[in-house]
Amino acid sequence: MGIQNRESFLNNVAENLGRERRTQDVKRPEWSVNPQWDVYRDFSQDELVDVLEKQCEVIHTDFKRTNKENLVNVLAETIEGFDGNSIVAANDERNVSYGLVGLFDKLHQDGKEVHIWDPNFGNKNREFAERADVGITFSDITLAESGTVTLFNNKNNGRSISLLPRTYIAIIPKRTIVPRMTQATKQIHEANQEGHNVSSCISFITGPSNSADIEMKLIVGVHGPVNVCYVVVE
Amino acid sequence: MSIKIGNAPFESRVQDGIKNDFMRKAVSSAQGRFRSGRLVAAEELGNWEEWRTLGEEIRSHTLENLDYYLEQLSDEVSKRGGNVFFAQTAEEANEYIKEVVKKKEAKKIVKSKSMVTEEIGLNHALEEVGSEVIETDLGEWILQLDEDPPSHIVTPALHKDKGQIRETFAVKKGYDKSDRPEELALFAREQLRQEFLQADVGITGCNFAVAESGAITLVTNEGNARLATALPDTQISVMGMERIVPTWEELEVMVSLLTRAAVGQKLTSYVTSLTGTRLEDEVDGPEEFHLVILDNGRSKILGTEFQAALHCIRCASCINVCPVYRHVGGHAYGSIYPGPIGAVLSPLLDGYDDHKELPYASSLCGACTEACPVKIPLHEMLIRHRQIIVERENKAPKTEKMMMKGYAKWASSPAAYKMSTKVARPALKLWTKDESISSGPGPLKGWTDSRNFPAPSKQSFRAWYKERQKGGSYNGNPK
Amino acid sequence: MKVSLFITCLCDIFSTNVGKDTVEILERVGCEVDFPELQTCCGQPAYNSGYLKDSKEAMKQMMRAFRDSEYVVGPSGSCVGMLREYPEVFAGDPDWEEPAKELAAKSYELTQFLVDVIGVVDIGSTFKGRVTYHPSCHMTRILGVKDAPKALLQQVKGVELVELPIAEDCCGFGGTFAVKHAAISEQMVSEKSQHVSETNAEFLVGGDMGCLLNIGGRMAREGKKVEVMHITGILNYRQ
Repeated sequence: MGIQNRESFLNNVAENLGRERRTQDVKRPEWSVNPQWDVYRDFSQDELVDVLEKQCEVIHTDFKRTNKENLVNVLAETIEGFDGNSIVAANDERNVSYGLVGLFDKLHQDGKEVHIWDPNFGNKNREFAERADVGITFSDITLAESGTVTLFNNKNNGRSISLLPRTYIAIIPKRTIVPRMTQATKQIHEANQEGHNVSSCISFITGPSNSADIEMKLIVGVHGPVNVCYVVVE
Repeated sequence: MSIKIGNAPFESRVQDGIKNDFMRKAVSSAQGRFRSGRLVAAEELGNWEEWRTLGEEIRSHTLENLDYYLEQLSDEVSKRGGNVFFAQTAEEANEYIKEVVKKKEAKKIVKSKSMVTEEIGLNHALEEVGSEVIETDLGEWILQLDEDPPSHIVTPALHKDKGQIRETFAVKKGYDKSDRPEELALFAREQLRQEFLQADVGITGCNFAVAESGAITLVTNEGNARLATALPDTQISVMGMERIVPTWEELEVMVSLLTRAAVGQKLTSYVTSLTGTRLEDEVDGPEEFHLVILDNGRSKILGTEFQAALHCIRCASCINVCPVYRHVGGHAYGSIYPGPIGAVLSPLLDGYDDHKELPYASSLCGACTEACPVKIPLHEMLIRHRQIIVERENKAPKTEKMMMKGYAKWASSPAAYKMSTKVARPALKLWTKDESISSGPGPLKGWTDSRNFPAPSKQSFRAWYKERQKGGSYNGNPK
Repeated sequence: MKVSLFITCLCDIFSTNVGKDTVEILERVGCEVDFPELQTCCGQPAYNSGYLKDSKEAMKQMMRAFRDSEYVVGPSGSCVGMLREYPEVFAGDPDWEEPAKELAAKSYELTQFLVDVIGVVDIGSTFKGRVTYHPSCHMTRILGVKDAPKALLQQVKGVELVELPIAEDCCGFGGTFAVKHAAISEQMVSEKSQHVSETNAEFLVGGDMGCLLNIGGRMAREGKKVEVMHITGILNYRQ
């Protein structure tokens, strides 16, 4: 299949624009203003954590702050709080350094079902996620302004983990926090220019799913997770 | 469905809207929420006007170089294993998508909310080939079950109340619980989750495509677009050809403007950027991806004085501030694109024959232009439409044309004008009582049906001024 | 300072007191006022209805009428807003583009002129009453005059200024819109009237006679006692 009808289509566009077809040398202009860079400019990492915490109130998201030593306890407590009996988590390389491997063992011993995403299991991953109570991933870039975790989904971090379970927990290493989406997309833009393929799916997730489609009343929890908790790790 | 909805004449659609008390209350309260949400979001940024300027610059640059960016986009999508189909018309788009669906032998198709697929009537086309198409946005699902067109481009079921929705769910899906929105939504979640898991194909629209890397970005709150693109093996995304940005850096700005202008959120729950097919060893995401880029009348707008209408990012903020929309509702416009942007776009995409009343359905108050996050001069475009209807399409009423000829003569002749200041009062004397006209003749009737009209003053200003120059006085005040 | 009064056709024929007050206000702040008799209507009724050619006839007359004026000042945001659009209307017209630019550059709405050009906000008026202000759409959005009228009203001794709910909403006038789409216009003006009632104001004040005739006409029909006044009526009140 490939690309179909392109030439006639784009020639027609050029013709209506009243000029020759442009196929190269189009440069983005210098925009006259760039207000996006002014938001929380010069904020320290701690100040950004505060911004994030405040925004979590707006987006109906639980917010916890801890350090690496206590992370396992905080997560265990959080999972318990959401009645989590089955847990699906990304196979993130940070699982080891943040002690999550120990957590998963402990949960397992407590009689809970734990599944770490594994491409070798194919669709079984998704089937588990569909009946899991809790999904856990790390945030790759965290946007303070909007309260957003950014996930570069891949073969070890399936899209379903943060999507299918009723509860989603995002672990936010403090250094992943940036002022807003501006910094995140700049990174993606630069990586792309350097020839790195962007992920097949980049998810910017801001709290639980919601809808106001019925009489404009906010309903938290529609197709995606109903509960979301962010755990910021110093 | 296509752009035009319904066959009733404009006046009767307006009357239906005005008489629909529930709808008007719902729209009015929704507008209130949207308005305060947007204003708060804009205020938090502090420099909203700069953001609008940036948004306009980005949109304008992109449209000026649209052929370049679309070529880049299609190359990038193709590199990532996606197929790209450029469709000149709605029919071409539908035919292509039907072919894909047939080849996949797809029985069940899940869709996330998309105005462009409404525009081309895709659901109808797919039903022709025997596939079941399920709208999965809560509002769209309600409308689909009820066979009702959308009345708003962001919250499509705005005109329905929870009682009506409960009834629809009960009749069509055997729902037997309360009309609490939470309970209704939970029912939808359960019902639709099963559909997602069984679907063969997922269809989405596209808020913004990123030319530099071929990403299709979907801006949503419910999560249905994520499900529709993570679970089925085939994904088809349909985009209006103008829904594109050069790079990720512009994507960010446009998304920031969209979510604030549309719903007053800093970001919606999900902003999802999807590129091509799933990669090796990935479980989620499609193994086959098709991007359909649609013209359907858009290229005709390029290079005209209406080009900026293509800057539209479908945030509906013009709809949310429009007082006419508030009183007549979305269906009165007779187009899937209602409100000010609908009044501008519908005649451009679908011709004046079916939409010639829309440019007049505005008091030209300019609230739309002021709210637009990409500075489309909407009310000026409405005036331009009127000029075309009068001067090029020749569709204005004869009496109006005569009146305007008369107006031109009057206003270009000081003598005629001066005469009118003298005769206005006696001419209206018959209808005047206590310095007021409560039932006026001719064109005044529309006015006096619902409000009084003043009698012309006893002495015109210019007559008074002449007297004053000769030593008359006024001084102080009217009473 | 020499100022030519642009009376507007509505005030010339229907609301002549507005013109009289405008003259006196301008004189009070030290202007020398004249009234060019060749002026007619700004062209807006035809222009906004899509009759470009017909509207241009009116506009040309206005350019002729004010050719020699230093400043042109009128008691209407909407009509002055129209004058300010002339350069766009006549863009590329070899005979009229320059005169259009000239007229646009020297035209001001009255409150805008007082505050921005003369530089006064207190013109020594006294007026007792509870007042609410309707900021007309063309005054605020086309002409961009948002603060001047309120700044002036706030300085009038005795005025209790109360906020009109959702003040920025259109009253439904819209020139020919009020007649062409009378049913929709009626809904809009009824809502505006409702908002005025909610303020318990005795006076509704505005800077555009079209809107005021519309709102006033509706409130009179509804039997409401609120008095509708052009802002000049208050600014020229001294008791």
